[in-house]
Amino acid sequence: MYSAERIKKEPSKRITPRAIRAWQWSAAAGNLVYFIVPVGYWSAFGADSSSGIAILLILAAAVLILWILGITLLPYLRWKKWRYSIDENEIDLKRGILIVRRTLIPLRRVQHVDTRQGPVLRYYNLATVTISTAATTHEIPALDAETADKVRDVISKYARLAEEDV
Amino acid sequence: MSEFKRQHPVAAVTRAIDLIRDNLITVIIILIFGAGGGGPSFLWMFAGLFVFLLIAGAAGWWRFVYRVEDGELQIRQGILVRKRFYMTRDRIQVIDVTSGIIQRIFGLVKVEIKTAGSTSREASLSAVSRAEADVLTDLLRKTPGSSRSPEKAASADDAEAARFTLPLKDLLIAASTSGSFGIALSIIATVFSQIEPLLDESEVYNWFLAVMPGETDTLFIVSVLLLFVVFAWLMSFFGTLFRFGDFNLTLHEDEIVIRRGIFEKKRITVPFNRIQAVRIVEGVLRQPFGYGTVYVESAGYGDQKGSGSVVLFPLIKQRELDAFLQRILPEYRCNLQAVKPPPRAVSRYIIRSAAVFALVLAGIHWLLGGGTFIWFLLIPGFFWGWLRFRDSAAGVDKERIVIRGRILARTTAVVRRNRAQDITGSSSWIQRIRGLANIDVSVASGDQGRKFQIRELDSRDAQMLLPWLEKDFRAGGGGERIPATDACLPGWGFSR
Repeated sequence: MYSAERIKKEPSKRITPRAIRAWQWSAAAGNLVYFIVPVGYWSAFGADSSSGIAILLILAAAVLILWILGITLLPYLRWKKWRYSIDENEIDLKRGILIVRRTLIPLRRVQHVDTRQGPVLRYYNLATVTISTAATTHEIPALDAETADKVRDVISKYARLAEEDV
Repeated sequence: MSEFKRQHPVAAVTRAIDLIRDNLITVIIILIFGAGGGGPSFLWMFAGLFVFLLIAGAAGWWRFVYRVEDGELQIRQGILVRKRFYMTRDRIQVIDVTSGIIQRIFGLVKVEIKTAGSTSREASLSAVSRAEADVLTDLLRKTPGSSRSPEKAASADDAEAARFTLPLKDLLIAASTSGSFGIALSIIATVFSQIEPLLDESEVYNWFLAVMPGETDTLFIVSVLLLFVVFAWLMSFFGTLFRFGDFNLTLHEDEIVIRRGIFEKKRITVPFNRIQAVRIVEGVLRQPFGYGTVYVESAGYGDQKGSGSVVLFPLIKQRELDAFLQRILPEYRCNLQAVKPPPRAVSRYIIRSAAVFALVLAGIHWLLGGGTFIWFLLIPGFFWGWLRFRDSAAGVDKERIVIRGRILARTTAVVRRNRAQDITGSSSWIQRIRGLANIDVSVASGDQGRKFQIRELDSRDAQMLLPWLEKDFRAGGGGERIPATDACLPGWGFSR
């Protein structure tokens, strides 16, 4: 009843491993925001009672663990789980560590596609491809800059070629 | 028409009202907190706000000028930031002439002009005379005699264009079962919070307290709650009555025109080629009687600003739905075999729904106290979860997907394949262990788009559904069909 070929092949392309390093840096800087939580708690309630100290320590430890995870394990897992593929009919994205998502975007629906680079990505010569439909926006993050340009051009070429089936 | 013109001065008032409407939340917050302070300063503040709005409205009216030049609508507006807005005739797809209460008092109309395209731009003249509106539509209409010209549409109107109206009986049913309690309740609560300090000292209140036996605290609370509910019901009753009174829908060559409203006349034009999905909502109060409401999701032509949802028909019997779609949107008529979440998913539905209930109950418990008995209220939470499980279903064929689900009302969405923007399958870590997955489909609607989701399908079913958007998708070909239950979607007397 479930024939194997009916189930779409998994997307095959990976993003560049250099993405891991870029994500580590941006997580190291960006996740510092979380430290507001223990600091805020400390400035609001102080650390006078022993229970206050305990709560403060737990909060600080939790945030620290999250921060460390954000610069060690998570970028690697994120990279490991990311797959994409593009052919003349569909864009196929698969990603996610705990929640795995697989999205299919028909090229006929692509309205525009662009690449963008933040400062960290630019340092590593990486770029993110953003694909917009009339309803949603999807990203292929941290591709090699040349690959990103190629991907963008391919998508926009296919999107032009794909006939409108309205 | 080559000179820039101003609108009728009444536009100043409608603009002030629009300002209030756009900043309603701010106004309510000011009202609630302002009342706490009480006294004349609050009244002054309120009056000041009102005067400010009037001045802003008047200034806005003064700065707003428009003209039509070479088939191009040109608008200059803005008090601090000046904006120039040009819209050429070729891009105009829809011109809607409506009139709100204020416009009707002065015999004026509002003209809304919308472009084609998924990010529809919109210009509106909020108060012009009817004659002026006619001149404008004349000037902005595409080449006279084209299929979209209102004249021709109007003559087609007379010559037996399909026309659907809402019978009075159905209107009354719609009004009495409309579940907009929540909104009505919150309005009443706001008003009450304003009146309450006044009542506090009044004799009526003292009399009321004296009449009420001192011991029956619960009875008092219950009766106040009951009063609130009755008021809310009345409000939603008349709200719906006025909103959908005088409803009629006419079919034209390439658009649907909906006219509705008793005091505030509205005319909504939905071009067929902008329709993205059809949604049938069976409200909690309506479903038991076999009634539902039909919505369409359209790109850029919504009922309200920013939304793409339009009430296509306010109340319809489930049995008549198929015939209705057959006449208006035949491509959305279908009868598909349904895929449902497997029985092992029921616990996840129930836990999720009960968790929402538990959170709310915990909040109530913490705020108002109350005995442990309130945790018995979790039972409806379980029931709700089970209902959501029972009503979740999806069905596909080559042309469309039907997704049914329930939040409070049971909602059935029909999306055509050439209108779906993307399809996503997702599964959390626990779902993967249990072999379950969610599927959601996005369509364009208004500014953001809309997502229709079915949760906790068997992951093999989900994997079969996922290729639905692929170019060469074929459902039910050979032995490879998606294993379906014996249930049908939408299942409204299609075969009967």
